[in-house]
Amino acid sequence: MKILIFACKWCGLIGADGAGKKRIQLPPEFRVIAVECAALVEPDAVIRAFASGMTGVAVLGCHLGGCRFNDANHAAIKRLELLKTLLDATGIGGKRLLISFGTAHEGYQYAEVVKTFFEELKTMPSTVAWTASL
Amino acid sequence: MLEKVKEIARTVLAEKQADGVLGLMKGQWDIIQPHIFESPVEVDALVIEPKWLLAKMAMTVLRSSREGYRLAVVVRGCDERALTELVKRNQIEKERLVTIGIACTAEQAQACICDRPYPQKLDCGDAVAGVDPFSIESVKELLAGDGPARMEKWANILKRCIKCYGCRNSCPICVCVPCKLEDQVWVETGVIPAEVLSYHLIRAFHLSDTCVACGACQEACPVNIPLMALQLSMREMLRETYGYDAGLDPERNSPILYDLCKEPAAGQALPDWVNSLRKDDES
Ligand code: SF4
Ligand code: SF4
Repeated sequence: MKILIFACKWCGLIGADGAGKKRIQLPPEFRVIAVECAALVEPDAVIRAFASGMTGVAVLGCHLGGCRFNDANHAAIKRLELLKTLLDATGIGGKRLLISFGTAHEGYQYAEVVKTFFEELKTMPSTVAWTASL
Repeated sequence: MLEKVKEIARTVLAEKQADGVLGLMKGQWDIIQPHIFESPVEVDALVIEPKWLLAKMAMTVLRSSREGYRLAVVVRGCDERALTELVKRNQIEKERLVTIGIACTAEQAQACICDRPYPQKLDCGDAVAGVDPFSIESVKELLAGDGPARMEKWANILKRCIKCYGCRNSCPICVCVPCKLEDQVWVETGVIPAEVLSYHLIRAFHLSDTCVACGACQEACPVNIPLMALQLSMREMLRETYGYDAGLDPERNSPILYDLCKEPAAGQALPDWVNSLRKDDES
C-alpha cells in the first residue's frame, strides 16, 4: 500500500507537521509532497501518481473561503471531483482520491483523515489489473 | 438537401459573406476530400456525405490565411459545437467564421450515438431526434459492473493501444502545443503499448469539459478502443452538476474554470463563510 499526499503549505502541511510534533502514530505507508496551493495539483499529477503505482492519493487544502489565493481551492475541488468521475468510469474508483479541505489544518485532524483514508483503502480491491498492464 | 446547401454556399460566396467555403468535394475519380470553394461555379462539386469533421481544418486554414480572410464552413451539429469551443478558447476569431449548418440523418445519429445530431444554426435539412448514449448496450456494458470488473475490462481494452496518437490528432478540440502526451515527464515516450493510465486518462481528462461527443477519436482509433465512453461519463457529470454542455452556449465558459460562488454545483451546499473575504471587500 502506498499513499501519496499533496498537502498545501498553508493548511495541510501544517497539519502534517503538527501530527509529527505530537508524535501521533500513523500508518507508515504515506509520503507527503508540499505544494503552494491545492489548486496547483493538476489532475494529471494525480493520474500520474496512480500510474506509478499509488494505492491512494490525497489532496489536502484549506477551508473553502480560507484559501490564501482567493478562490483557488474551489477550482481545485471542481477539477478533482470531475476527475473522480473518470476514475470511477475506468474502475479505479473515485474513492482512491481523497479531497479534503479545511479538516487537515490541525495535527489530530490530519492524523484522523490519514487514518480513515488508510482504513478505507485497505477494504478496496487491488489495482493489479492496471499495474500488470504497465 | 444537397442542392439547398449548394445554393447557400453560392449565395455566401456571391454576396461575399465569406471568401471561401470549406466543405467536401467530389473530385477526380470520385474521390471525396475537403476543399475550399472560392467561386460559385466550383460549388457544383460540393457533397455533404460522409461525415467528416472540418472544425480543426477550419482552424488551420484561418490561422494560415491572410488577415481578414473569412471562411464559411459546412457543419454538422458536432462540428458546430467544436467550432464554438475553439472560438471560446481563442483558437478562432469569431468574426472570420460563418457556418452553414446541416442536420444529420437518423442513421448517422445512431452510428455516432449522438444526442444532438443537428447544429443550433440549422440551415438545411430537418433535425432528427438524438440518441441517448447511455441507452446503448455497448456503452452500458462498458460502464457496468463493479470497480474491479470495470478496471479489468478497461485495462484489457486500453492495452490494445498502439499509441498512434490518432485519437489526439483527430479530436477537433485537442490543439495544445506542446502536448503533454509527448512529454517524458507525463507519459513515458518510446514505449508501446502506451503507458495505459497516464496516456489515456490524461488525454481523456484534458477533454473532460470540452468534448463535444463527436466521436472522431473513436472513429480514428485503428484498434477500436471505445474512447467516447470515457468522455461520456464526464460530460454527464458536468450536465448533472452544473447544467453545462460543451459547445452549446458561446458565452458560457466551462464551469470548472470558476469558483463555486460564481458557478455553484447543483445540490452542493456551500457553508456561508465561503467567500467571506470577498464580501468584506465589497461592503
Ligand atoms: S468525442 Fe473524442 S474527438 Fe470528439 S471532442 Fe470528444 S474527445 Fe475529442
Ligand atoms: S487512436 Fe487508438 S491506438 Fe491510436 S493512440 Fe488513440 S487509443 Fe491508441
